[in-house]
Amino acid sequence: MSASAVFVLDLKGKVLICRNYKGDVDMSEIDHFFSLLMLQEEEGLVCPVMSHGNALNVTLRNERASPVPCVQVFTEYFKELEEESIQDNFVVVYELLDELMDFGFPQTTDSKILQEYITQKGNKLEVAKTKVPTTVTNAVSWRSEGIKYKKNEVFIDVIESINVLVNANGSVMSSDIVGSIKLKTMLSGMPELRLGLNDRMLFALTGRDKGKSVAMEDVKFHQCVRLSRFESDRTISFIPPDGESELMSYRINTHVKPLIWIESVIEKFSHSRVEIMVKAKGQFKKQSVANNVEIHVPVPSDADSPKFKTSTGHAKYVPEKNLVVWSIKSFPGGKELLMRAHFGLPSVENHELEGRPPITVRFEIPYFTVSGIQVRYMKIIEKSGYQALPWVRYITQSGDYQLRTNS
Amino acid sequence: MPYFGSEETVKELKRALSNPNVQADRLRYKNYISKVIRSVIQGLDVSTLFMDMVKASATVDIVQKKLVYLYMCTYASDKPDLALLAINTLRKYCADPNPMVRGLALSNMCNFRMPGMTEYIEQPIVAGLRDKASYVRRVAVLGCAKMHSLQPNTEIDGIIVNELYALLRDPDPVVVVNCLRALEEILKDEGGVVINKPIAHHLLNRMKDLDSWAQSEVLTFLLRYRPRSDDELFDVLSLLDSFLQSTHAHVAVATLRLFLHLASAHPAVQADALLCTSAPLLATCGAASRELRFAGLCHVQKVMRSQPGLFSTHYKRFFCGYSEPTYIKFHKMEILVELVNDENVALVLEELSSYCTDVSPELAQAAIAAIGRIARTYSEKCLDILTGLLALKQDHITSAVIQTFRDLVWFCPQSTAAVCQTVEVCVDSPQDSEQALLWLLGEHGEKISSAPYVMEGYVDGLKTELSLAVKMELLTTAVKMFLCRPAETQDMLGRLLHYCIEEESDVCVRDRALLYYRLLQRGVEETRKVVTGPKSDPSMSVLTERQEEPISQWASTFNTLGPLSGHDLCLQTAVISAADQPSNSTEKELLPGSKDVTLSSPNDTEEEISLSLGPPLSHETFEKMWLDLEILHRQTLGSPLPRTALDMLQAALQLVKIQTLAFTPGDTVPWKAYIYTRSTGTLILAELLQGDPQAPGSDESLVVSVKQQPVNQHAIRGFASILKSVLQTLNDDSS
Repeated sequence: MSASAVFVLDLKGKVLICRNYKGDVDMSEIDHFFSLLMLQEEEGLVCPVMSHGNALNVTLRNERASPVPCVQVFTEYFKELEEESIQDNFVVVYELLDELMDFGFPQTTDSKILQEYITQKGNKLEVAKTKVPTTVTNAVSWRSEGIKYKKNEVFIDVIESINVLVNANGSVMSSDIVGSIKLKTMLSGMPELRLGLNDRMLFALTGRDKGKSVAMEDVKFHQCVRLSRFESDRTISFIPPDGESELMSYRINTHVKPLIWIESVIEKFSHSRVEIMVKAKGQFKKQSVANNVEIHVPVPSDADSPKFKTSTGHAKYVPEKNLVVWSIKSFPGGKELLMRAHFGLPSVENHELEGRPPITVRFEIPYFTVSGIQVRYMKIIEKSGYQALPWVRYITQSGDYQLRTNS
Repeated sequence: MPYFGSEETVKELKRALSNPNVQADRLRYKNYISKVIRSVIQGLDVSTLFMDMVKASATVDIVQKKLVYLYMCTYASDKPDLALLAINTLRKYCADPNPMVRGLALSNMCNFRMPGMTEYIEQPIVAGLRDKASYVRRVAVLGCAKMHSLQPNTEIDGIIVNELYALLRDPDPVVVVNCLRALEEILKDEGGVVINKPIAHHLLNRMKDLDSWAQSEVLTFLLRYRPRSDDELFDVLSLLDSFLQSTHAHVAVATLRLFLHLASAHPAVQADALLCTSAPLLATCGAASRELRFAGLCHVQKVMRSQPGLFSTHYKRFFCGYSEPTYIKFHKMEILVELVNDENVALVLEELSSYCTDVSPELAQAAIAAIGRIARTYSEKCLDILTGLLALKQDHITSAVIQTFRDLVWFCPQSTAAVCQTVEVCVDSPQDSEQALLWLLGEHGEKISSAPYVMEGYVDGLKTELSLAVKMELLTTAVKMFLCRPAETQDMLGRLLHYCIEEESDVCVRDRALLYYRLLQRGVEETRKVVTGPKSDPSMSVLTERQEEPISQWASTFNTLGPLSGHDLCLQTAVISAADQPSNSTEKELLPGSKDVTLSSPNDTEEEISLSLGPPLSHETFEKMWLDLEILHRQTLGSPLPRTALDMLQAALQLVKIQTLAFTPGDTVPWKAYIYTRSTGTLILAELLQGDPQAPGSDESLVVSVKQQPVNQHAIRGFASILKSVLQTLNDDSS
C-alpha cells in the first residue's frame, strides 16, 4: 500500500502542487483526471475513490495507477493552511508533503510534531534548527521535554453539539449529542493529569449512585490517554500535549428535546408572494441564555422585495444563499419569539425545480451541557510539585440542526 | 502566466542567482530560489539553472536546502551528468553532524531517478542503516527500497535484506514499519516479506507504539501469518482485542479483517468481533469527511450481508441529510431497505417517502424503488405511499411508481389486486414507463377494467410511437389481452397486427408481429400455451429475505478498495431480466459435451456468448468462404426438422440472431439449409442437413456442420446450443 504521487489541483483542474514519490507513474496522467471527473459529474456518479475535495476547493486525489491504490485523507494537515492560499505557501506545502510521506509511505503525520519540523512562517529568515526535534525519538511522542511556564494552568472546555433532524410534520427523526473535551495546557515539565467525569460506568464500578451520571458511547481519546487504564477502571489519566488539543470525544444517543424548537409556516402564492412565519421557542432552563442564535429560513431563489417584522433580533435577506437569516443576540430559555417575512414573486414563473432545503439553526448556550456531563475533578501531578489551576467551561452548541419544511 | 517569454524569465533568474549581491542577501537569495520552484510547478523548463541551484544547496538554512533538493530531484533524470556533480555535495552532507541534514541529503539522493545511481548511494545507505539518529535510519531503510526500484531486475542484495530483517527490532516504531514496507518492495517477486512466528509476535507486541497508519499496515501484513495452534490463535486475538475499538476507524476495520481471517474456523469469535467494530463503523458513517462516510457505508453494507440485524437499532443513523451528495444518499437508502423490521418500518417509510419528492429525479426514483423493495414484505403501507405519490402528477415520479408496481407484482403476487386498482387511474403514463404499464396491462388485463381503452390509445398512436421496445411490448400485450378479453380487443389486435406487418419499417417488430400472427393462425389454445406464462416469479415468495452470506464471502476484500469501487450504485434493478433467466439455464443443460472443456478453460464460460446479425452476407461470399474453410465442428442436434412451416423456422432463427441464407424445400431428401451468424468478432457459417445417407444417424435428426473465421471454440459451442434449443422449442410447439 503506497501512494505514487500526490497532486493538488485547483477548481479548473490545473495542477497547483504535485509531488512524485515513486516515479512509477506518468505525471501527465493527472491531465485525464479532471476530464474524467467532469464526465462522472455529468452522469451524476461521482465516487470519492476518484476525488477528494476539502474546504479549500482543492481536489486531492491519490494516483490510482499504483498496484494497490489507497484512499487517504489529508484534510487534517491542510486545515492549517485553510486561510492562506496554497500558492502563496507552496514552500510549506512541499515541506509538509515531504515529511508526511517518503516513497509513498506515510511517515510523520501528527500535525503537532510536524509543526516542530516545519516552521510555519516560511518567509521568515531564521537560522535553521540544528537539532532534530526531540519528539521524534522521545518516549512521549506528543510532548517535548523542558517546557516552562510562569503560571501553570489548564483550561478545560466541555463542548457539546446537538444534531437534530425534525421532519416536516414536526416529529423528531433523529437526535444525538456529540461532545468533546478540549484542553489548553500551559503546564511546565512532564505533568501527569487525571480527569474525573460523572461517567455512569465509573459510578456503577465504584458502587456510587448519588448525583447525575452520563452514559457515554463511542468514546475516543487523544493518543496520550492510557487506554488500558480506562478499560480496566475507567480512569482517564494522561500526560497532556502542550498547548491546545482535543482530549476526548464521545457521543450520547439519548433522545434530547430540541433546545430551540421552530414552527414555521411558509405559504407560497404562485406569481405573487411568499409569506413566512417562523416561531422559535427556547426549550431549555429559564436561567440559561442562548447566544448568537441564527435561524436560517430558505426562500425561493426568485423572491424579491423582502419585508420583515420581528419581535426580537433582526432578519436579513441573503440572496446569494436564498436564505433569510434571523439573528438573535440573546435568547432566554422558555421564551417564544416570532418573525414574519414577506417576499414578492415574479409573475413569470421559474421553471427550474427547486429543492426544499431545511431550516437550520445555530446557537450557543454557555455554562450548560445538555447531557449533564460534569468535570468532577482534574488532578495535576508533576515531579517539581507545583500548584496548578484547572479552569472548566461548558458550552452547548448546535451541530447539524435541521428542521424540514413542507412548502 | 509566463508561458510567453519564458526564456526571458529563465535568463533573469539565472542572472539573479549568480549575482554575488543576491547571494550575500540570504532573504533575497531564497526568494529567487522560491521563484525557480514556482516556475517548475508552472511547467517551465528551468533545467539550465542546475549549476546555480547546486551552489545554492550549500547553506545552513534547511528550508532552502529542501527547495534546492526538490529542484534537483525534478531535473536529475534529465541532466544526469550535472546531477553527478551534485552527488558529491550530497554525499558530503550525509556525514554532517546534524541528523536533519544527514537525513535530508540521504533521502533526496535516493530520489534521484537516474541510471547508475546505485553505486553512489549504496554506501551512504548502509551507513545510514546504522546511524544513531532514528530520523536517518527511517530514511535509509526506505532508501533501500528506492535503490531496488532503480534497478528492479538486478539480484536482491542478501546482506541488505538481512540487515532490514534485523532492523525490525529497532526501538523506533517508524523504522520498524519502514523496514516492513521496504522488504515488501524489495521481495515483491518472491511474495513479499515473510512473517514468521517470532516476527509476528514481535510486531503484535509493538502494535501499541505505532501510529495509526503503521498499525493498519502491520495488521495487513499480519494477514500472512497463521498461528500454529488454537492456543496461540487466542493469544494473538486477545492482544489485538483492544484495537477493534480503536479511535481510528481504519485501524478498527483492519483489525476486524484480521480477526475474520484468523478466526475463520470460529464463527462465534467472528460475530463478537463484528459486534465490537460496529460502533467505529457507525461512527465512520457519520464522519465529517464525505469520502470517509462513503467508505464507511460501503463497509457497513458488506457486514450486513452476513449480519443483517447488526445495525437495525441504529437505522436513524442512515437518514439522509439535505446537503449530502447523491452517492451517499443512494447507499444510505440501500442500507435502510435492508434494515427494515417490524418496529422501524413506519419511521423508515416516512423518511423514504420524504425523499420521493426530492428535486433530483434520480434520487426520487431511487427512493420510490426502495419503497418498492420494502413493499415486498410490508406491501400494504408501501402501496398507500406509492398510490399517494401518483396524485402528485409529476412525470418522473409517476413513471418510477409504475415501474415499481411492475416489479412488485412480479415478486409479490398478492399485491396484484391493489396495484390493478391503482393502475386504472394512470391512463396517460409518462414516456419512460409505457413499457411497464403495458406489461401490467398484458399480464393482468382481466383485472383492470379500463385496460382495453388504455391500450386502444396506444394502438391509435402507434404511427407516432418511436420506441421499438414499446412497440414490441404493445404487440405482446395485445395478444395477451386478446386471450383474456377477446370481444373487446379483437378488432384492435387486428389493426395492430395489420399495421405492424404491412407498414412497420423495423424488421424486429414486423417479425414479432408475424410470429404472433402465425401463432394465432394455429388457434387460440395454441397461442395461449406459448404466450402466457407464470404471472409472478414462483421462486420469490414474500417470506424469503436475502440469504445471509457466510462471512468468508466478503472477508477477503474487506478493508480494500473492493467494496468501494465494485459496487453498483443503482438501486433500480431491471427485474424483467430475472424472467429471462430460466432460458439461460436450459441452454447450459443442453450442452452435454462441454463439461470437460469447461473445466480446462474456466475463463471461457465467464462470458455469455451473444450472437448478432451484422451486415448481411451475399451468396457469393458465403459460398467462397464455405469452400475455403474447414469444418470445425459437427454435431447431431438430436431433434428432427420441425414440421412447422419453414418460414417459421426462419423467423425463429432470426429471433435468436441467426440469419438463414438458403434452404431446400421442406419435402426434399436430403434437406439442407445454410445459415450464418456473428459473435464477438467471429463469423460462424453452418449447414443443417437431414436425411443425408453419408452422415450416420441423420435420418431422423438434423446434423449441423460449423465453419468459422476466426476460430473461437467457445462461440461454436454457444451457437450449437442456441440452435439446439430453438429446434427443440419449435418441435415441442408443433407436436
